[in-house]
Amino acid sequence: MRLRTYTLCALTLFLLASSALPAEAPEEFLVANRFYEEKDFASAIRLYESVLNQGLESSALYFNLGNAYFKNGDLGYAVLYYMKARRLSPDDADIRQNLRFARQYSRVQMEGVQLNPINTFFSSIVDSYRLSFMAWVSSLLFVLLMLILIVRFGVGMNNSAIRAGIILVLLLVVVTSGLTTFKYRRDYLARRAVIVSEESPVLTGPSPQSDVELEGAPGLIVEILDQTGDYYHVLFENKRRGWINRDLVAVI
Amino acid sequence: MKPGITILLFVVTLGLGVTATRVMGQDINVAVSLDRDTIGLDEQALLQVEVSGTEQNLPEPQMPTLSMFEIYSQGRSSNISIVNGQMSSSVTYRFILLPTKPGTFPIDRIAIVHKNRRYKGNKVELTVLDQGIATPPELSESAQGEDGQSRDYFMEAVVDNKNPYVNQQITLTLKFYIAVQYYGSPELTEPTTTGFWSELLGNKAPYYQTINGRNYRIIERKYALFPTQTGELTIGRAAITTTVAAKTRRYRDPFDVFGDVFGRGEDVTIRSQPVRIKVKPLPTENRPTDFTGTIGDFSMSASANKAQVEVSQPVTVTIKIRGTGNIKSVAEPVIPELPDFRVYRASSNENITKFNDRIGGTKTYEEVFIPNRPGELEIPSLSFNFFNPKTDRYQQLSTAPIKLAVVKPEGWVASSDVPYAGPSVTIGSDARDIVYIKKDIGDVQPRGRIIFASPLYLVVNGIPVLALLGMVLVRKRREKMAGDVGYARARAAARAAKKRLAKARSIARTETTTEFFAEVYSALVSYIADKLNISPHGLTTDRVKVLLENKSVDEPIIEQLTNLMQKCDFARYASSSLSQDDIDEALASAEKVMVTLEGVRFET
Repeated sequence: MRLRTYTLCALTLFLLASSALPAEAPEEFLVANRFYEEKDFASAIRLYESVLNQGLESSALYFNLGNAYFKNGDLGYAVLYYMKARRLSPDDADIRQNLRFARQYSRVQMEGVQLNPINTFFSSIVDSYRLSFMAWVSSLLFVLLMLILIVRFGVGMNNSAIRAGIILVLLLVVVTSGLTTFKYRRDYLARRAVIVSEESPVLTGPSPQSDVELEGAPGLIVEILDQTGDYYHVLFENKRRGWINRDLVAVI
Repeated sequence: MKPGITILLFVVTLGLGVTATRVMGQDINVAVSLDRDTIGLDEQALLQVEVSGTEQNLPEPQMPTLSMFEIYSQGRSSNISIVNGQMSSSVTYRFILLPTKPGTFPIDRIAIVHKNRRYKGNKVELTVLDQGIATPPELSESAQGEDGQSRDYFMEAVVDNKNPYVNQQITLTLKFYIAVQYYGSPELTEPTTTGFWSELLGNKAPYYQTINGRNYRIIERKYALFPTQTGELTIGRAAITTTVAAKTRRYRDPFDVFGDVFGRGEDVTIRSQPVRIKVKPLPTENRPTDFTGTIGDFSMSASANKAQVEVSQPVTVTIKIRGTGNIKSVAEPVIPELPDFRVYRASSNENITKFNDRIGGTKTYEEVFIPNRPGELEIPSLSFNFFNPKTDRYQQLSTAPIKLAVVKPEGWVASSDVPYAGPSVTIGSDARDIVYIKKDIGDVQPRGRIIFASPLYLVVNGIPVLALLGMVLVRKRREKMAGDVGYARARAAARAAKKRLAKARSIARTETTTEFFAEVYSALVSYIADKLNISPHGLTTDRVKVLLENKSVDEPIIEQLTNLMQKCDFARYASSSLSQDDIDEALASAEKVMVTLEGVRFET
């Protein structure tokens, strides 16, 4: 009876673990790379996107797609895919480099970017880690906390080391899970978009009759605050707000 | 904008600045100039007086009495400029001087008086010649038509040297003389200059000259020509096409102004004579072996951009050759084979000037010298030669040698195995392009998967929570048992009773019925005692009944229990033999009673 339970547990864990293992690189990816080398960027884009359409993603795939769009003269999509790549691999210096390089070619540069100092501080901590890494670190600490709690309350061992351990690990769990939540909210819950259209007027209201607040340009990154009809209410990096037609942007 | 308005505008706009300049700058300058210093008696000279200074309201010059001239004012023009916030203005007054007698006359008493100060102009001299002497005889001839009448217009082509060396500059001057009214601007057909390298020097402002008593307007154009071959060369005719007043009107009515303005025009083409040039070759005598054909008058200098340098670091030596002559034909100075240096030509450029009708300029060569070894090295004297037509000699120019202190860089090895390639290049940190694509797709995962939703993550985090809860519950129960005997006994009662009943069953197979029922009875009594946490000794059926009734146990259960106990009591003492059915029935009812009692909560 006991043995059967353990076997079942182990089997479940194995199946779960194997589901997390990376899938094999599709043939299209390698062919797209060849097209890129031959400077046929349009074909490379088509093939990279066919991999995406298979429901797969990887930071390298997004990175290469961003490169192909950049070389093909489509700055908006280049920035979009670099952003997607960076979300998956924030620690990749190549992605950061190309994102920065591409963004400096945007016709419009946002001046006076006001940053929230608290956000900036937290961002500087979490920026270079992947979400999954942070999730596993908090998870590991949580399991450690549970083990100590089992020792303390399940086994009933009670001394000053155990009590100090509980407080320490509890603090770490609070900090790491807080940061993980911050990163998750920032990267996944907050909807962001990149302007991809050459002509992209940002209006003062959600209708075509509204006045033009400013002229956007491909490559600008906005946060989507709200949606009314066909218009997104967007917040630019320098805190300028406006409404932009949904078709002119691509959500990251 | 009229000068007056300009001045007014500046007075208004500059406000304070004007007062400041008043205090600071009191420089007033009077410049006197003549368009020519020699004229014929029947010609006229233009005298210009330019008054300049930092003031706006410059006073007019006082003209002295010049008894030998008739003076007519030709008006004035003014100019205001602001350079680096400093304002300056100038007013130019023009006067026509008509001489009344020949001689040399100084004009030196032109002055202005401003704020009680007198500013004197410079002295000029005008020589007035007798009529006819001002005109060279050939020119008088050219002005004379075949019929003895003076020509209305003609053109002259003159060169300053008809027997030049090959590649030596000669100056061709085209002069168009016209004494009658003409309309529009004359159109020029340039002379053909086959065999020459031709460079336009420019047009001179039109001026007037009196020849044989007629006043001609003269338009002058000059060319620099460099013969590219020896022998006879011909400068072709130049032609001018213009429209002049019709010649039929011999009598000119001085009041018929419109007759000239709207008069019948006549298109005429005036040609110059071709000019023959005999180009002589350069002398072979004393010709240097490395002569490259440069003719003119030149000077040369050389300088290095640094005096101390590391091995393999470049030094740029700039060689400048400047002077008059065909600067384009100046060849690069010959640099001999140097064991201590590698030499690269970096650049060359030429800057052509036209000064005083002479073509000249500067040719600059930049040579890069890269020293091969440390030490006190010397870039030797470089030489360049040319033929000077002024002196009819070949001349050689040499630069001074340039000393270079070449130092060892760190880690320098004096070995031919260390190939130091050209000048070093500095690479900045700015990227020129995006980083190249990645060859490897890396970790591929289903799109949009988030770690928190992954089953593995949930299981890994869930299991410890469940384990903790389980462990805590187990421990709670253990602690309760350890602290409360009654609870522990009650929990253990059924187990103990079952053990007893099992024992009774085994007894039933081997032993007598008496012992079997004794065992069942004591199992029941022990069970009740455990449940109620009392001693099993002295527990009779009646006592059990009372106790259970006190605990408000249901009547049928109590009755069932007491019946069974009485049955056991009876069987113990009756000592009759029992069938297997009786035994089974007794055990079954004992178990049934205990199961029922197990579900009852005893209020303690």
